[in-house]
Amino acid sequence: MTTAALVLDGVTKNYGSFRAVDELSLEVPTGSIYGFLGPNGSGKTTTLRIVLEILKPTRGTVAVLGRPSALEVRHRIGYLPEEKGLYKKMKAWAIIAYFASLKGLDRRTARARAYELLDRYGLEAFREARTEALSKGMQQKVQVLASIAHDPELVILDEPFSGLDPVNQEVMEEVIRDLARRHRTVLFSTHVMQHAERICDRILLISKGRKIFDGTVPEARRRIPRRVRIETADDIAPLTARPDVSSAVLLPPDDGAEAAAQDGPGAHRWELEVAEDADTQAILEACFQNRIRLKQFDHSEPSLHDVFVKLVGADAREAGRR
Amino acid sequence: MRTPVLVAIREYLENIRTKGFWIGVMLFPVLILIAVQAPRFLEKATPVRALVLVDQSGLFEEAIEQVLARDFTKRRSIAFARYFEKHLAPGSTYARKRDRHKERSLEEVPASALNPARAEELMDTLEDFSPQMLDLLGTEAAWRQQLAAADRFLAPHRPAFVNPEPRFRRVPLPSGLDPGAPAAELVQGLRPYLLGEHKLAGSGKDRELFAAVIIPPRVREPKLLAVLGGGAGPAAGGIEYWSTNLADSDLSSLIERAVNEEYRRLEYEKQGLDAATVRKVQKAHLPFQTMSPRKAAGKEEVSAADVIRQYAPIAFVYLLFIGIFTISQMLLNNTIEEKSNRIIEVLLSSVTAGELMMGKLLGIAAIGLTMIGAWIAALFAVLALHRGPEAEFVDQALGVLVTSNLLPLFAVYFLLGYLFYAGIFLAIGSICNTLKEAQNFMGPMLMLMMVPLVTMFFIPKDPNGTLATVLSWIPFYTPFVMMNRAAADPPLFDQVGTIVLMVLSTALVLWLAGKVFRTGILRTGQPPRLLEVVRWLKGPA
Repeated sequence: MTTAALVLDGVTKNYGSFRAVDELSLEVPTGSIYGFLGPNGSGKTTTLRIVLEILKPTRGTVAVLGRPSALEVRHRIGYLPEEKGLYKKMKAWAIIAYFASLKGLDRRTARARAYELLDRYGLEAFREARTEALSKGMQQKVQVLASIAHDPELVILDEPFSGLDPVNQEVMEEVIRDLARRHRTVLFSTHVMQHAERICDRILLISKGRKIFDGTVPEARRRIPRRVRIETADDIAPLTARPDVSSAVLLPPDDGAEAAAQDGPGAHRWELEVAEDADTQAILEACFQNRIRLKQFDHSEPSLHDVFVKLVGADAREAGRR
Repeated sequence: MRTPVLVAIREYLENIRTKGFWIGVMLFPVLILIAVQAPRFLEKATPVRALVLVDQSGLFEEAIEQVLARDFTKRRSIAFARYFEKHLAPGSTYARKRDRHKERSLEEVPASALNPARAEELMDTLEDFSPQMLDLLGTEAAWRQQLAAADRFLAPHRPAFVNPEPRFRRVPLPSGLDPGAPAAELVQGLRPYLLGEHKLAGSGKDRELFAAVIIPPRVREPKLLAVLGGGAGPAAGGIEYWSTNLADSDLSSLIERAVNEEYRRLEYEKQGLDAATVRKVQKAHLPFQTMSPRKAAGKEEVSAADVIRQYAPIAFVYLLFIGIFTISQMLLNNTIEEKSNRIIEVLLSSVTAGELMMGKLLGIAAIGLTMIGAWIAALFAVLALHRGPEAEFVDQALGVLVTSNLLPLFAVYFLLGYLFYAGIFLAIGSICNTLKEAQNFMGPMLMLMMVPLVTMFFIPKDPNGTLATVLSWIPFYTPFVMMNRAAADPPLFDQVGTIVLMVLSTALVLWLAGKVFRTGILRTGQPPRLLEVVRWLKGPA
């Protein structure tokens, strides 16, 4: 790894007595895809705005592309804000070219780049369309393209997946991977873990303005114990007696009463917490040996979603009630 | 400087495509065209007014008939002068004469019944000083003679002259009404005709009764006159003029004048005075010349051009007002659009708030200059199209515009006024999320801004008076009021001082607006309280 594209050190932002960001430090390695995760209201957008120097931090320092001020290097940064808007009366290509020219491209190059990007991401038919005539998803694509048209070294995307249908979410992931392949640094925020899980090199989890976790996705997974999920009508006492199974929790029925009735009476879903070094194959064997008839045996790794719920679930629910 | 220019170009290109801009551009030329064309159009469009006259005194009928006939004669003569001018054979003596006149100003062109520019004036003079001439001209024989005399100057293949419609036509009392009945009864019978419920007998489109005049039998009795002379109470027993149209007073004043002239004539006769002598004495007239000490010695006479010069600034004040507020409104709308669309956040990651503000100011200023340029071009175009002896006024207006300092002054006051108000509107736009919220702030602003419109017509009457001077020194009003006073050579101290003050206060407004803009533009939710805005102003930028 070369030098970090972005370094935050002890960044704090107060709004009156409310602390939106609390002593946040992080480092985004150059060329990485960095996921910035957290529940609603956790301070993601505020942090990104501080990075871009749209807001001033109460305390702490920011170094963007090695400079103390994002405005100094603003031509090398691309930004897609959370709340997305476009000039309604402008044509798609013109708006992309306009933002690119604000970032230092000359008008002719900016125009060429706009056409190129629209063509590459399937919007060639809408080059001349006014943005108000585009669907919401297309508008968002245009906006993303506008934020990367000047080929920035650091791209900051605030909730790039929100409001997109599954197909366009994949296009968005592709855009991000394309950038990374060309050694651009991408920092994006989201509260949808699947995207982060699929494409991030590193993630940072924040809640209530505080850093909860910072590291790679496998590291994050290791933050919660390994589990095995099984579904059976039989007694599972032989399993819980094993030394590598530390506990068993009864899960609520999965697909409602109807499915449960089809499975026959007494089918239950269990979650077994297992030791870090446990051999899940041995547990499966133990089921056979003990005549536990399985309808389901799931020993997949915990998802980032599970990690997220476990680490910030309580905070997020509390924030939701506020 | 590159970024503000980019922002300005975008603002310009976007706004130049809006309907508001084109309405603004077209509004003014359309207004001038209407102002130039409307009188002629109205003249043609006004229908013949039908009049019922019941003269129970038997004294005035003839006099009224006479003025109606004279009115038609005047109208026909003016129409014929236009016809004559239009169909003059090229190369005829008259045509050459006319072309010479085109080079001269109105005062130098001799009044002639065949010169459309002055025919109306000549007719009015005839009516005042020798109405008998008009009566003579109105006879069929004299008219034929004139047509025959004109013939040799006119192009051989021309349409025949068509008599214009008279303005007023007397119609008989509708059948079933007794001309000898008391006034109240007559009015009762005429009322449905006057209200348009009944049509007059006959065909054609002039079947509405426009007015009825009822002259009671004993209108000349001294007792009654005393009461009338007092002017109090309804004119019971006096002459009654009935009409639903109170706006068009041409007919009523025509009749009133005819009746009173005739009445005076009768009174002179009664006193044993010779009516002709009295009339002569009455028309005696000493010339009265308006002069201005401002003009060069020997040329102090006040011409039409001077009057135009005095009042032209009013038009400019009006343009200034419309121009400044049309484009300031655009600025407000754009700022709110950027804010409510959240485009502002992307913008601010690429440009600083200061650059954005400067770009917007520049772009909209360019829009304003384009609009004003279009107006002035349209003004000259319309004026130029209407040149010629018939539109002498237009010629002089053109001359005033070209020779005076009104246009450069207008440009200066426009820019200063625009920047001043634009700063305020930008600040308002930056703290509001919707136009609706902005309207709360706009209300008081509009009240403040109405003042120059109200004082616009008073200031030329006393251009260097206290009101004008005080208003000139209030930056909100400086551009408008100083423009208003521009024709009256305000003291140099006022001219220079107000511009200096205006520049300083514009700079201050823009500086303060910048502070509000930077803080307000990223704010969401409710607009801030005034106190909070004041705090932003005090705080560091």
